[in-house]
Formats: sequence, C-alpha cells, structure tokens
Amino acid sequence: MTDDQSDAGGKDGADDQSAAGSEAAADAATTEVDDGDIPSWSESAASKIVTASAKERVFISVAAFLASVLVGSVLVYLSGLVVDCTSAGFLGSCYNPFLVYYFLFVDPFIGGFNVALVMKETVLLLFTGLSVAVAFRAGLFNIGSQGQLVLGGLATALALIFVAPLAPGGVLGTLVLVPFALLVGAVFGGLYAAIPGALKAYAEANEVITTIMLNFVATNLAFFLISTYYQDPESGSVQTVAIPEAARLKPIVPFFEGAQFSVLALLLGVGLVAGTFYVLANTAFGYDVRTSGLQAAAADYAGVDPKRLVVSSMTLSGALAGVGGAVYVMMVMARYRTGVPALGFDGITVSILAGNNPLGVIPAALLFGVMKAGSLSIDFSLGVPKQLVGVLRGLVILFVAMPEFFRLLARYTPYGPDADRAVATDGGDDDA
Amino acid sequence: MPSNRRKFLASAAGIGVATTAGCLSSLGGSGSDGTNVGVVYALGGLGDKAFNDMAKQGIDQAIDEYDINYQGAEPSGNSEFPTLQKKFANSNNPDYDLICTIGFAQAEALTENADQYSDQQFMIVDSVVEKDNVASYVFKEQLGSFQVGHLAGLLTQRDFSTGGDGMTDASTNTDAATVGFVGGKENSLIKKFEAGFIAGAKHAGDVEVRSAYAGSWSDPAKGKEIALSMYDNGADVVYHAAGGTGTGVFGAAQERGRYAIGVDSDQSKSAKEYKDVILASMVKHVDTAVLTSVENVVNDEHAGGEVSALGLEKGGVEAVLGQELGSEIPSEVKSALEESKSGIVNGDISVPTDPENA
Repeated sequence: MTDDQSDAGGKDGADDQSAAGSEAAADAATTEVDDGDIPSWSESAASKIVTASAKERVFISVAAFLASVLVGSVLVYLSGLVVDCTSAGFLGSCYNPFLVYYFLFVDPFIGGFNVALVMKETVLLLFTGLSVAVAFRAGLFNIGSQGQLVLGGLATALALIFVAPLAPGGVLGTLVLVPFALLVGAVFGGLYAAIPGALKAYAEANEVITTIMLNFVATNLAFFLISTYYQDPESGSVQTVAIPEAARLKPIVPFFEGAQFSVLALLLGVGLVAGTFYVLANTAFGYDVRTSGLQAAAADYAGVDPKRLVVSSMTLSGALAGVGGAVYVMMVMARYRTGVPALGFDGITVSILAGNNPLGVIPAALLFGVMKAGSLSIDFSLGVPKQLVGVLRGLVILFVAMPEFFRLLARYTPYGPDADRAVATDGGDDDA
Repeated sequence: MPSNRRKFLASAAGIGVATTAGCLSSLGGSGSDGTNVGVVYALGGLGDKAFNDMAKQGIDQAIDEYDINYQGAEPSGNSEFPTLQKKFANSNNPDYDLICTIGFAQAEALTENADQYSDQQFMIVDSVVEKDNVASYVFKEQLGSFQVGHLAGLLTQRDFSTGGDGMTDASTNTDAATVGFVGGKENSLIKKFEAGFIAGAKHAGDVEVRSAYAGSWSDPAKGKEIALSMYDNGADVVYHAAGGTGTGVFGAAQERGRYAIGVDSDQSKSAKEYKDVILASMVKHVDTAVLTSVENVVNDEHAGGEVSALGLEKGGVEAVLGQELGSEIPSEVKSALEESKSGIVNGDISVPTDPENA
C-alpha cells in the first residue's frame, strides 16, 4: 500500500545511474533527472522485475494487513475468554473481534466529527513523516523531528503572540499571520535540525545520538522558557496565552464544523508532499540527496559536497517538522502548551511504512490517523481495554512495516519467481 | 443516522461469521432510559489514588443511587482534552446528559466547547468556566487548610512521637512551636492554602509559621531543600500545596524524623512510602463534586453558569488523618479539630483567603 511503481522505478533508476559512475552523476547535476519515468530499458527484462515488484508489494502490504487483522482477532477473542463480563456475547468471548475491527477501521469514516479526527492526526503526521523521510533519503536518521516540531511550534506561538497587537484582524489577518507563522516554524525547526547536521558534517558526531538528545533539550527548553518568562498567568498549566484569533486554522468546510482540523492545513500538507516528491525526483539537489543516501562515497566522487549536503538535508527535514509544529499550534492548541504528543516519533514509523517515499507518507499517515480515531471509537463504544487496542495497532504497523519478511515468503508464492531476486536482495528502497 | 449506522454495523459484523445476537447489545449506551454521564478524567488516568479515582468514586456512588449509564475517557496527553470532550458532546448514541471534566487543565478546552455545544450540559471540577451550560465546582481550600493548620499547631506544642514496627521514628520538637508551609507556585489559589494554614496554626496558640514557595510543581529536590531547612530551624510539621514538589517535603520529613501534611487527596494512600510521616491530608472531595452534579442533572436542576464552592459542611474539603498515623493522634487534638470545624461551619471562625490577613 505504501509503495508505487514509480518509486520502485526511481530507486532502481538511481541505482543504475550511480553505478554508471561520475559521468551520469555529473550529468545529473546540470540536467534534471526524471526518475518517475523509466527510460529506454522499460521494454527490457528489467521492466518485468519492476512491475512484478509493484504487484508484489501491493500484494504483500494487503497480505500483511490481513495477517495482522487475523492475528489480532485471535488475540482479541482469546483475551475476551479470560476476562469477566456480564454477557459473553461472541462465541463465549467478551470481545467481538469483528466489532473491534469495525470500530478501528470503519467507524472513523462515519460522520464529520470522526473524519475530522482522522484528518487532524493525518495532517500532523504528514509533516513529521515527510521530515523523517527526507532525512532518510539522504542517508540520515533524524530521530529529532519531535524536538524540531516542539521548537518550531513554540517559536510560532511566541512570534504570533508578539505580533498580535500589530496584526490586522479578520481575513486579512489570517492572510498575513498564517504564512508568517509557517515561516517562523520552518526557520526555527530548520535551524534546530541544522545543529545535528553540522555536528555530523564537521565533527563526525552520530546524528542518531545528537538528534535524540536534542529532543530532550527542546522539550525542557520550551518548558523552562514558558514557565519562567511566557507563562499564561491565568492558568495552572504550563502554557502561553492564546494566539490571536486570526491565526487559528479553522475547519472552513461546514462538514467539519467545530473540529480541530483545517482543510487549509491538509492542502498545505499535501502540497508539501508533492513539493518534496518533486524536489527529490526532479531537481539537482534531490538527486544529490538520493545519491548520497544510496552511496555517499559515490556521491562524493561525483562532486556532491557531502558536508553541505548533510547540513542542508537535515535543515530541510527540520523545517518540515517545524512547519508541523506551527500547524499543531494554529490548528490544535491555539497556544503552546507543554506535553506535545509524540508526533515526531510517530513520524519515524510513518516514514518507514511509506518506504521513505514522500508520496507513500500520505497513506501511511492516513493509516495512523484512522487507527488513532478508531481506537478512540473503541474506547467509547466497546468495553475493550485501551491497552489491548494499542496491541492491535502495534500489530498492524509491525506487519505492514515488515515487508522484507513477506518478500522472503513471497519467493515461494506465484508472485515471487527467481527473477525477483535482484529486487528482493537490494533491500528495496528502504535506504536507511 | 443512528439507525442507519446500526444497520450497517449489523451487516458489517455479520460478514464472515454468523455473529450471535449478543453482538449489538455489546454496544455502549444500552438504553436511552436513565441518565448518561460521560467523564473526561485528568491526566494520570484511573488508578492515580487521587483526583481521578475520587471522581470515579463519585460516579460509582451515583450509579448505586440512580439509574446512570457511565462512560469514562482517560486522556493520554494535554492535547486530548478538547478531543475527548467533543467526542462525548458529539455522541448521539447515547446522548450524554452530563459531561464531567475533571481538573483545571481542562478549563481552556471546555471554554471553547461550551460555546460550540451550547445545548450540552457540562461540569468542571477545580476551576471556573463562566458559561451558561457549565456548572463549576471549586473548593474552599482555605477551610481545609485551616483544619490541617490547626492540627499542626496543636501537635507542635505537644510531645508527640511515633515509630517502631519498621516505621520511621518521628517526633515533635518541644523547644519551638514552629510549623512550615511549602507552596508550589505563588498564585492566588495557593495563597488560599497558605492563609488558611497560617490562621489554623495561630488558632492553636502561639505558633510560628514559616512559608516558602518552590516556584515549581514538579521539583522534589527543591521541595526537599526548603523542607529540610524548615525542619532544621525547629519546624515540626510542614504542609505542602506543591504537587509533585511535595514529594520532596515528605522525603525531608523522613530524613529528619518530623511530620508532613499532604494535599488534594489522602497522600498517606497515594504516596504510601511516606505514610509513616504523613499526619493528615487536606483532601478536596472530587467525589462530592461529581456526585452533586450528577444528582442535579438527574433531578433536572443542572447548575449551569453557577459556581459551587464546596466547604467543610458537605464534605467538600476535609482534613483526612493519615492511614498510619491517624490513630496515634491524641483524642483531645481530634476533638479540638471537631470544634474548630463546627466553628467554621457555623461562622464563629472566619478564615482568611489572603496570607496578609492571617
């Protein structure tokens, strides 16, 4: 479900070109590389591999999903056997797996309120998922999206509160404040990610460690700044005062009336997905990023400045997370309040589910959003404990994110003849 | 719409296996008769032996007495308050007659949702939301604080010691009649605690009260530091109104063999490891607030737009003696506490809300 043919083709295309060495890479630095299109060799045997791979992947994702539901159902049924309840309605079990999965995956699509819940989570994860994916494609493991989102969001809230007295109200205010806020979020998120980028490039500090540690720094810095300088005097919670009304992202569409979801934010998220995809696929910078991610030494040889690339791709990754923070502040909380949900960490899973393909981030984030809203529905409608629902969500993610395992299995099915080996063994495009 | 949904549900559930008739009845909100109550708990969830568990107690009591269908929701973070409130307010199967929101942290979210769902009846505990459909329940913390101040003041003037049986040996120091107060952040709410405590201690006689603020709700190290210096300067009992910072106060009491007084819930239960130094706790009875609000809704008398300040009389606030030490407290002290309690209830004793007047 996460990968499509163009992505598989793109990856193989890039592989092919980097293998061709400096000539192709140098070429690419000046001309645009269209990796969505498979060039002349599309008629060759390779195309069979690619198409088989795409089918295979769809098959695998669906099979993985169904397998997770199957395993989960058994788990739910068995759990229902051991607990006590007044009416063991389903074959002697207190929990009905069909109802559980109905509420997890179908109920979230019923009614404006539920759909808005799904979309709220999805939109926020688009930003962090993209953030992680961009870094991944450059061969960098950005675990720091959470911290970048926190600081981006904090900076946005403070900047909005600061300019509030100067800003006009109404639609004009929105037109001025929202882009301003997004810019502030992007700049602060980007700068904060540039730190581990620079540390990696110029001091050879492992970015996994530095980004993890900088998450703590960001969260605690935000807490300190607010509780010491920007505390809302009327509240016992550690939070800033509210941002100006004009800067709030409202649902606009009556269907979503009153929800914490904005169609504008969704458009922005999808736009950034498309933009990131385009940049990675069709620009010299994107080509540098991908080549570095596949084989840093080859990229270096081909004339990519590896230090600059590390810093710039981390900055881009952080900027995307920072925009996510800005949207979180404007769409959800209307202020900065400590205790930001783990959007950045979920973004890592979203990115991996998406095979680090920007386009794949959309369905992956949607899956997260649906399950988030779905587990809330279960909470409200069925007596199934939250923890068990957490297990089911975990199973879905675990199964879908383990394509390698299923690709191995697929070799023994009609979908995986020996010809697939080339694809299967290069690890696909999950180039972590 | 609800009937469509049910139909769809039935057919969806029927796929694959001949589902039993029990399947639909396992849906929540089994009937429209009775009063449907939803509760959005505070952070920490059920099992916190504090606010949330007390709220649940209130609900359980209400279920015993009336025909109540209850549904609870435990948020996993700040950002879920608005979502859960909306989820209850949006539900039409069942349609909730009352949504209880526990804790001041939900006030901002409720202020918005009360406007958005103007037909929905809400209640909030420990904060005031001035909306026509919200009943606010707050506590007269100064009264309960007066009671524990009185207790502290009485004990510091006596020879009082506890210990043995694996408990920390603790005693009062008879040289100086001194007690202490540690606040979290200095705001008008916590000053009510301080004012009541000082007044209560003074009510017991010539007692010196030391007060200090930690500036944080979650800094046990700071709380410990402050409390240690108070104990070292002759304080026998230290009362805290400082959230997580208060854990440090308890730690200091154990280290110095002195006493402490807890806050909000019975901390000799919720902070069990310190029960051998916790004399009492100034409990805010969230259960009373929840029960009262449910009763009002059952009787069709939802107190929307009103602020109910719960005092000592109906058990809104109370000085609850410690699990372990309560039985050790001399009966003269207990009867003196009863006296001052009835003095407050019938108005003979007036309790200040500002430490300046204490």
